[in-house]
Amino acid sequence: MNSPHSEPAPERKPFKARLSALGGLRLGRVQLGQLKAFLGLIAVVILACVFSPSRRGELIFLDAGNLTDILRQVSERGILAVGMTFVILAAGIDLSVGSVLAFAATLSAVMLMRFGYGTPETVVAVLAAGLLIGLINAAVITMGRIQSFIVTLAMMSAARGAARLVSGGSGVEIGYGPGGAPQSFALLGGKIGEFVPIPALIFLGTVVVAWVVLNKTRFGRYVHAVGSNETASRLSGVSVNKVKFGVFSICSLLAALAGIIHCAQLEQGNPNDGVAYELDAIAAVVIGGTSLSGGTGTVTGTLAGTLIIGVINNILGLNNIDANLQLIFKGAIIVGAVLLQRRNGD
Amino acid sequence: MNNKKLANPWRASGLKTWLIAFAVVTLLTFPQGCGRGGGGGDKFVIGFSQANKAEPWRTWMDDTLMREAAKHPGLEVRYADAQQDNSKQVADVENFLRQRVDLLIISPNEAKPLTGVVRRVYESGIPVIILDRSIEGDTYTTFIGADNREIGRAAGEYAAELLGRKGNVVELKGLPGSPPAIDRSAGFREAIARFPDIKIVQDPVADWLRDKGREQAEAALRANEQIDLIYAHNDPMGMGAYLAATAMNRASGLKIIGIDGLPGPEGGAKAVLDGKLSATFLYPNCGKEAIETAVKIMNKQEVPKRLTLQTSRITKDNAAQFVGQ
Repeated sequence: MNSPHSEPAPERKPFKARLSALGGLRLGRVQLGQLKAFLGLIAVVILACVFSPSRRGELIFLDAGNLTDILRQVSERGILAVGMTFVILAAGIDLSVGSVLAFAATLSAVMLMRFGYGTPETVVAVLAAGLLIGLINAAVITMGRIQSFIVTLAMMSAARGAARLVSGGSGVEIGYGPGGAPQSFALLGGKIGEFVPIPALIFLGTVVVAWVVLNKTRFGRYVHAVGSNETASRLSGVSVNKVKFGVFSICSLLAALAGIIHCAQLEQGNPNDGVAYELDAIAAVVIGGTSLSGGTGTVTGTLAGTLIIGVINNILGLNNIDANLQLIFKGAIIVGAVLLQRRNGD
Repeated sequence: MNNKKLANPWRASGLKTWLIAFAVVTLLTFPQGCGRGGGGGDKFVIGFSQANKAEPWRTWMDDTLMREAAKHPGLEVRYADAQQDNSKQVADVENFLRQRVDLLIISPNEAKPLTGVVRRVYESGIPVIILDRSIEGDTYTTFIGADNREIGRAAGEYAAELLGRKGNVVELKGLPGSPPAIDRSAGFREAIARFPDIKIVQDPVADWLRDKGREQAEAALRANEQIDLIYAHNDPMGMGAYLAATAMNRASGLKIIGIDGLPGPEGGAKAVLDGKLSATFLYPNCGKEAIETAVKIMNKQEVPKRLTLQTSRITKDNAAQFVGQ
């Protein structure tokens, strides 16, 4: 490649770290970081138990219904966070995921209700649209040599506009039955039995797939390598641009998936939804121990980070704490988590 | 790894750091967290899920509801603000369901996304009171709200009275597609249809906003030499029209009618008292009626499926009593 920097080079890592990242021998530090996010989760869960209101001597927090509620509530943002993990590991950022979620949700509703498509066609088409958005992001970032922050900021605006265009500005509601959406679409936002929310299963599925891709494939090792040191990766023969196309496509694809679930869960595709979801996704990734400067981090950490936010929101909600205080609290948690990560000298 | 040389105050031992973190979080949570029983002991616990606190009308509803609830020592109200986010409101209602509140009061952010979770609450045996915006279907105990079409009709009839059945009218419309804007327009037009000499010469959209109301009223006043009355779908747009008319020296003889009639120094009732608006029509907040209905449900009394609240005409003569409400 002839472009020396399509993004500002992240801070240089010592040769040893680079080597180990390239070789996939990520020992010690990374695994420790992962462990720490789960320690954080355990601490938050213990706190939640301590402060859980109780009913007839039983903690409401530990109620099976409540725990699966949490999983369901975090699933959309969790899927966004999994995609964001790829991008941040490669030392990029994607600010467009909230808007892409809104676009995908709206497009799903429009295809089902106004054009009468079935569930499989809709899902495939919306995922393809998400993929296309990711490819556009990556193309502009690599070929235009513009920072991902700027490019995805632009896409944040463009995707929001596209969402409003396809719906005509207002929300499109899903109705089931004749002339409406097929029942199979409702499954995507539904439950198996009494307790197993399908959105949560899809979320956990993406975590597993992402873990395999990041840890067991060459692409996964390249993502870490590019994030650690782009120039060194390029010199080592890694196609940096291909990696960037990969991570941004995955991120937008997953945002579209989250949008489909959003639509199914709320029975509505609203172009104004998903505002600031990208920040929640970034927060989950960072709390999970992934460094914003790229190279180090894990998707299991992101899972822990997502659950930490979910448990905190839940326990604050169960205690009826003011919604504005909840926002402040979330801010404090993010800063606290990053301070704790730094102890390890990333 | 690479900046290990830097002195880092956070590099305490792992255990110590976690103890600090634990202590901080504990302290932050402590004041709210302790001593809350999920069932609320002997009290009748109401979970109140509000769509947002951003609209002044809703904060007025909250105030009224809380004040009314305070009169009944047997009631405890738990409040959740969904901040205009459907997903958050679903989670808020789920939390109330987990807490097994004795009754749910909800003013939905939007009908469709909240229908499912409200149905779950209702079907689990918890009575549900819905305020202002309804859900789909009938899986609730009582709906309390006002009839915007009726309010529009009342405004239209009063407009005809003010105009002596003859004159040019400008209608300032709320956000296109929003149900109150549609109903307030339809009711008004129904009422003035009986008077062929009353003409709506222009009906621009001003999105419920004061500044847009001013802009659109200015344009309408400039385009039409004779405007006798401006009907705004809410008071802020009406205030915008008043500002436009005074700035253009067209305020004398011009009547302005709004809707909402909020109390307080910023509200429409005060604007009527000050002579800025000719009249406004109260869009009643459902707070008082919600608690009255909740108390009836608590005492196992019958409640109607639908309770439609009546508007009041607020003019200079009676505005003072509405300012303080």
